[in-house]
Amino acid sequence: MEVKPGQSVAIIGPSGSGKSTLLGLLAALDTPSSGEIWLDGSPLSGLDEEAKAALRKKKVSFVFQSFMLVDTLTALENVMLPAELAGIKDAKARALNMLERVGLSHRLHHLPKQLSGGEQQRVAIARAFICEPSVLFADEPTGNLDGGNAHRVADMLFALNKELGTTLVLVTHDNQLALRCERQFTMTEGELSETTSSAAAKDAVVEAAADEREVQALQEAAC
Amino acid sequence: MLNSLALRLFYRELKQGQLLLIVFAIALAVLAVTGLARVSERLQVAINGEAAKFSAADRIIDSPAPLAPELLAKTDSLGLKRTDSLVFNSMAWSNEAFQLVTVRAVGDGYPLKGEIELADGPTKALPAQGTVWFEGRLTALLGSSNEIEIGEAKFALAKEIRRLPDGGFNPFASSPVVLMNMADVAATKVVGPGSRVTYLYQFAGSREALKALDTLMKAELTSSQRLRDVKSGDSPIAGAVERAERFLLLSSLLGIALACAAIGIAAQRYCQRHYDVVAMFKTFGASASEIRRIFALHLSLVTAVGVVLGLAGGLMLDAVIATFLPQELASYGAPLLRPVLLGVLTGSVSALMFSAYPLLRLLAIPPLRVLQRELTGSGVGVWLHALLSLTAMALLGFAYSRSLALTATVVLGALLLGLILFALGFVMIRLGHGAGLKTTNPLQLALAGLRRRAAQNALQLVGFATAMVLLLTIFALRQDLLEDWQRQLPEGAPNYFLVNIAPEDEAPLTQFLADNQIQSTDIYPVIRGRLSAINGEALITNRQAEEGAQGRVGIGRELNMTWRDSLPANNQLLAGEFDGAVDGVSVEAEVAERLGLKLGDKLTFVIDNLSLDVRVTSLREVRWETLQPNFFMIFSKEALSPFAYTSMLSFHLADERRQQVVELIKRFPTVSVLDVGAMVSQLRNIVAQVSLALGVVLALVMVASALVLWAQTEAGMSVRQRELAVLRTFGAGGRLLRLATTLEFAVLGAVAGLVAAVVTEAILFMLKTWVFELNVNWHPHWWFLAPVLGAVLVALLGYWRCRELLSRSCLSLLRAQE
Repeated sequence: MEVKPGQSVAIIGPSGSGKSTLLGLLAALDTPSSGEIWLDGSPLSGLDEEAKAALRKKKVSFVFQSFMLVDTLTALENVMLPAELAGIKDAKARALNMLERVGLSHRLHHLPKQLSGGEQQRVAIARAFICEPSVLFADEPTGNLDGGNAHRVADMLFALNKELGTTLVLVTHDNQLALRCERQFTMTEGELSETTSSAAAKDAVVEAAADEREVQALQEAAC
Repeated sequence: MLNSLALRLFYRELKQGQLLLIVFAIALAVLAVTGLARVSERLQVAINGEAAKFSAADRIIDSPAPLAPELLAKTDSLGLKRTDSLVFNSMAWSNEAFQLVTVRAVGDGYPLKGEIELADGPTKALPAQGTVWFEGRLTALLGSSNEIEIGEAKFALAKEIRRLPDGGFNPFASSPVVLMNMADVAATKVVGPGSRVTYLYQFAGSREALKALDTLMKAELTSSQRLRDVKSGDSPIAGAVERAERFLLLSSLLGIALACAAIGIAAQRYCQRHYDVVAMFKTFGASASEIRRIFALHLSLVTAVGVVLGLAGGLMLDAVIATFLPQELASYGAPLLRPVLLGVLTGSVSALMFSAYPLLRLLAIPPLRVLQRELTGSGVGVWLHALLSLTAMALLGFAYSRSLALTATVVLGALLLGLILFALGFVMIRLGHGAGLKTTNPLQLALAGLRRRAAQNALQLVGFATAMVLLLTIFALRQDLLEDWQRQLPEGAPNYFLVNIAPEDEAPLTQFLADNQIQSTDIYPVIRGRLSAINGEALITNRQAEEGAQGRVGIGRELNMTWRDSLPANNQLLAGEFDGAVDGVSVEAEVAERLGLKLGDKLTFVIDNLSLDVRVTSLREVRWETLQPNFFMIFSKEALSPFAYTSMLSFHLADERRQQVVELIKRFPTVSVLDVGAMVSQLRNIVAQVSLALGVVLALVMVASALVLWAQTEAGMSVRQRELAVLRTFGAGGRLLRLATTLEFAVLGAVAGLVAAVVTEAILFMLKTWVFELNVNWHPHWWFLAPVLGAVLVALLGYWRCRELLSRSCLSLLRAQE
């Protein structure tokens, strides 16, 4: 499996097929017992926990099914969190900006428990993009949301992904959501196979090439 | 950046009440230590102060020769008040009668503490030169005279003494006391080189100065000189003070142990709460050192807030208690520094050592937890936790009590509790294998729950049982000590002693008492004699030994001896038989130990210049602190009957019948009457103060126990919350769930109660044998009561929390994390 910069990729499959395990491996959260993973040009094998953490800090971000917000911090503080860990100076200004883009500038000082599920996931998305990561891993990002909210959250995810040129790896069992990605992989009992329709795949390759240039331009400007 | 993150996290969590438990636990530990240390220091100072009035000073040195002027100059430089006096025996002459008297010559400043009680009221003055103050019976013995001669000087008998503040309790003092001005001693020409005189140096002053004196004297005094404080000697007050101090120490120690347990539980909860936060931080790329920094700062802030709150609370507690104390006690200033330092030390050490292990586990949380919620960190063993906790407890315990025995007891108790619970937890987990979820009736549901949650429940038992052990220990000890004091000073304890009763006065005196309806104790014959040899080996005195003589050192004074057919009430037979053998003697155990006596040894006594050989047939333990006639040596009547003797007895008389004593003195002028009423009421005062302190301690320990129980129930409910929500969602009735949860908690409480009863008995055994020297008694009723109490208490807490949870909607329960 190879994912080009800026591409969006969906991994689909039934529960228990190993999607989340794969995601954990790709995102450098876990260590494979065999095999090789390369992230943004460098191999993950041989990296210790500290090095992996440093890599995640620089290049990777996440959106989870259960939102995983720190329940004692406000929406604004949750969004600031990765930026602060990364030592970015204008963390607050950036967080305000991100929250505005996900339409939550009126909910800045609310705690997660005071927000609806959709709002919480939008906070999580704002948090995911604040450091403008190269790769965003999303684990069932709409899994806990109802239809309307799921749609809005997905829209935001794809819009920001496009705008910032982030590579998106998305685990889902929602086919509709998967089809919005450029490429689809199916996981069955630990076996991964690409199921992208050839036309779509071709489009994807062309688009990816275009995106790559875009991404490079963006990356020079950012982080 | 990281600091502000930690600060923000702390601020938010504090505001939302998430840190309530751990802050409260730390605050309670600090409060307990600061408050109790302060209160007990205050009481100690007060009690010692009160007791000092009975020895007229804080320290007394007695010496057969004057102290070297250089040494006295050194003591004077310590900033202590000092007064010197002389004690010697001499004949007093009046007209043609004479009587041996004990002369007490006192200098300016006497008494440093307390007052001289005269027949016409208390005074701070001293006899003027040329006059003496005297004990009432002297005039009866000498006839009605206004003047006596002592040595070569004549004195006017000015005032009658009721009691000297350092008169002590010595019913055997055979000669009446005469109080003389120091300036008159020279004129008597009684005191010269080689004469038998005791030089008394009394000191009073601040604690620091007294401490310096102790250190100085330890190095300087010879074996024939003695330094005494209010606690040394066999005074009943000394015993009471010492036990009270040890009890206060112990209860504070147990309070600390309990607060430590609360901190331990709270720290565990605190760390569990942060598992997801740490996983998240790691996911977003925080390095291990960054997370360490964040949580080190976070926990330091938590500790600081707890310590500050605890200090404030402790000082408030002290202020409240001070208002309860009588004015004269509250006025004793106790140092503030030690309690505060101890409080800060306790808060920080316990927060550090008890959270070290949960914190290590917290830091080891893998980032993958964000995807796999059940993951927890691995690595560090639980033995580290046990080691750190016990070390913390030992460290704090010793810093506080400075007593190895007390510290060892507390640590051993904790260890025993840990072992029993570990074994129990192991069994429970074994039983728990394959336990399913049975939802037919509450009892089955409860039992299934108990087995399924075996591991967590074993942990919960630690908290429940610890709280109950400490509660029971304090409760039982308080009870035992109070009862012990009560036994020592029962209502109607003798307040008058009649001594020097001549044999011919015995019958009329008994008749007099009967006529006046005064109930007296047995009458004890008293004979004075000297122990001269053991197994034929002649004994030497301390002084001779110092001067280089070889031989076994005996007792340098005459002993009071009696005869009896049966063992006296306050005595306990340790070895041999009290069989009344004609040539047998029963020896008090401490004196036997000092002289190296064993059963069967032959003792030679010299009585009235005649010698008497007996063998040791029994050893007795004597409770000297009881206000009863007590004897080192008890013989058979046949052995002592050839010698001259006087007798003594004691009785209780209410104050309003005092007139009868006056009549008694008139009728039997040669009998000495010792009024120990003042001492008895003093003892009662001390007991009352200590009881108050014990009450405070008990209340504090109860609060700490409640906190631990509450914390444990909280932890227990968080484990159950999800399951409750699921069962509820599938339609299980609230009544069923409440009942099942309550039953589950009740079983836990009952088991904790039983374990607590076992461990408490062990702890009490250690304490009573090592520390308090009390009789060990078992508490069979506890084995039943403690489980019931535990079941009810824990079940109520569980029921209350469960009701609260079930009143929320299923959705909110399901959504709530953990």
